[in-house]
Amino acid sequence: MRSASRWTAVVATAALVLALGAGAALAQGTEITFWVMPNAADVIHVPWLDQKVEEFYRETGIRVRYEIIGWDQAWSRISTALITGEGVDVFQAGTTWNPQFAATGAVAEIDIDKFGGADAFMEANLISTTYKGKYYGVPWFAETRALFYNKDMFAAAGVEPPQTYAELVQVGKRITEVFGEGSAIAIAGTNAWDLIHNWAIILWAYGGDLVDAQARRATFNGPAGVQAMEYYVDLVRLGLASRATAEYNQPQADAAFINGNVAMAFMGPWNIADIEVENPSLNYGVVEPPAGPVGRAAFSGGSNLVILGASPNKAAAEEWIKFLLRHDNLVSYTRDLSKMLPAKVDAFNDPYYESGVWQVFRRGLSYATAYPPLGVWGDIENAIVAEFRNILTAYVEGNLERQGGVQAFLDRAAQRVNEALARER
Amino acid sequence: MPPEGSAGREAGRARRRPLGTLRDVTTQPQVRARAIEAAPLATAAPIPGTVPTRPIPRGRGAVHKIRRFLIRTGPAYLFILPAVAAMLFVHYIPMAGGILVAFKDINLFTVTRWYDAPWVGLDNFVQGLNPDGFLGSRFWQSLWNVTFFGAVTITAGYVIGMAVALLLNREFPGRTLVRGIILLPYITPDSVAYSVWRFIFQARIGLVNMWLMKLGIIDEPVIWLVGSNAIYAVMLAAIWKGWPFAALVLQAGLQTIPRELYESAMIDGASRWQRFRYITLPMLAPVTRMLILVSILWNYNAFNQFYVMLGKDPGPAADVPSTLILRETFSTFNFGVGSAMSVVLMGVMLVLTMLYLRALRASERGQA
Repeated sequence: MRSASRWTAVVATAALVLALGAGAALAQGTEITFWVMPNAADVIHVPWLDQKVEEFYRETGIRVRYEIIGWDQAWSRISTALITGEGVDVFQAGTTWNPQFAATGAVAEIDIDKFGGADAFMEANLISTTYKGKYYGVPWFAETRALFYNKDMFAAAGVEPPQTYAELVQVGKRITEVFGEGSAIAIAGTNAWDLIHNWAIILWAYGGDLVDAQARRATFNGPAGVQAMEYYVDLVRLGLASRATAEYNQPQADAAFINGNVAMAFMGPWNIADIEVENPSLNYGVVEPPAGPVGRAAFSGGSNLVILGASPNKAAAEEWIKFLLRHDNLVSYTRDLSKMLPAKVDAFNDPYYESGVWQVFRRGLSYATAYPPLGVWGDIENAIVAEFRNILTAYVEGNLERQGGVQAFLDRAAQRVNEALARER
Repeated sequence: MPPEGSAGREAGRARRRPLGTLRDVTTQPQVRARAIEAAPLATAAPIPGTVPTRPIPRGRGAVHKIRRFLIRTGPAYLFILPAVAAMLFVHYIPMAGGILVAFKDINLFTVTRWYDAPWVGLDNFVQGLNPDGFLGSRFWQSLWNVTFFGAVTITAGYVIGMAVALLLNREFPGRTLVRGIILLPYITPDSVAYSVWRFIFQARIGLVNMWLMKLGIIDEPVIWLVGSNAIYAVMLAAIWKGWPFAALVLQAGLQTIPRELYESAMIDGASRWQRFRYITLPMLAPVTRMLILVSILWNYNAFNQFYVMLGKDPGPAADVPSTLILRETFSTFNFGVGSAMSVVLMGVMLVLTMLYLRALRASERGQA
């Protein structure tokens, strides 16, 4: 008995020494560069990263040099890295970017089993890392938009949060009767880069989709697409949203809600951090996106971690990803910093996310949809957003109908999307 | 003047001599050649009256010729070499690369192996320029937009700049201070200045609508930054930002006009307008020419004002080539088409510059 346990101890020690040795061998002067987006305010983000980088160095001997890069510069920085094969080892990529980067052939294929297997991740986020059935990224965190509402304004107007899109219009009309035109909902206009997300969830709730199941043809210009687009324009037409909405970008729309001027807005969990900073006294609630004729729909967004194909330090980069995805680190990063939700199931099931508003986002994510993982997604998004902007512009200039109505614009977008889909290989 | 001894000794002495005496030394052809060899600086920087205007007699064959060439102009080439090398590597080689890319099928799928990408002839140009296609129609529209934009902003900037330059050309207390102050818009960073203008033009909270409503010109807020109004909003901001440069350049030009011209014109009884029309304007012609030329070239590359004020997609009525190319091609890795459109844009600028310079030369000849 005693000798057995002694043997166990010896074996364990030997294993430990070997493991440390292996770690040291991998570590031998290894230094990796990590590009991360400003997922939280620098004042809390930087100390967290500094501490974790140090911790990781003590554990593995791998030195991580991180750089925080704004979303607007990230695309060109990453593009350059992909083309030159230099500059970074592992980087954060938005879910819709991942397949496009994969299509360039310049990012490393991922063996998902090294990270706990496919079942360890939220399904929609995992899909966003794929391209032609292979994995090219590891899901990091997830987000979805839900309907934020101002409890005080709702109480003053005597209304309850809407459960359907039809109800939203009724509730909105009631609110504008009390608070005036444009006070019901804040929506983004021509200046929003994420305009497509706002329309897609209505499109899905009305039973439509962006492209067909084989991703061969655009389908969003069908009846559901037209209805969903008309619905969006109606929000302005009926005075629920201000005409000035047309020039808004998403942060401006968010600010209108956060400042307490407007009663509703579709926003993401990251906006909770904004509210805490900008207007902590705002009395708000969060409910799931309303249901359309075929039920509720939500957009699954978030970020993945991607390894550069030309990186000489892929093994070290994998270690860093594993470290970031470790239950404690992931929960701490999402809960304390980014206010997003973990894209890994074990962290997602952390009790914290069953409290308060997080339940709402959790439920939303359970049916949230990702866009099809296509290389030409950028062209598709450009085509749709361009016509979306043209629709809003035509509406505020008063010649939407003269230009053939919503249908004509969507048909034009569909034609360009079909051209793009034909280029997909 | 001592009798000429051996040429070498003479040359050595010539170097030590003041320049004024060089002419004496060089009366004897052979000696002069040596003297020039020995005193390259004196000849490299000709000073009127010291360097012979007659061609230098031929030496002993090719080697000599090359040597002489190197000695006479070698240093000059050496001096411009760094600049030429820098231009070559940061300008002309990348530009040539950009032109090559325009003839290749470079997109998302081929971008990382771009040197292996297939040549596609003029396909990219067809896609980017075909007025019936999406990109082509937007491209021609954007080219028209930027031309219209430039015609208005350059003209307005020039007129305002001229007016201010004339005002500042007189003596008054605090002139230097005012000169500094008028440069403020020009030295404000684009991102800052145009962000402020974006706020000023905002429909709900912008100052423009506030004042127009107060003055009773409009009843409800006008949406300036969307659709066909947008380009006018940007124009106004760009004029505000651009005129101080015109004023600065014209002011410098005004200072080079001799006072005597005005004085004699006044004695001849020329009116204020006549003095402006027949002295100021013609005397400013070279400055104006340069000013308008760089303004045109800058104009076709206009990006900041549109991007900051209107965002990634200013909409068809206010799109300019730079925003279009960045958005529709470079943000989706369609570098081939993007390069094709950039090449065409460069071609348009070259042609315009040529036409402009030719028209100027013709008008000058007409005047002469």
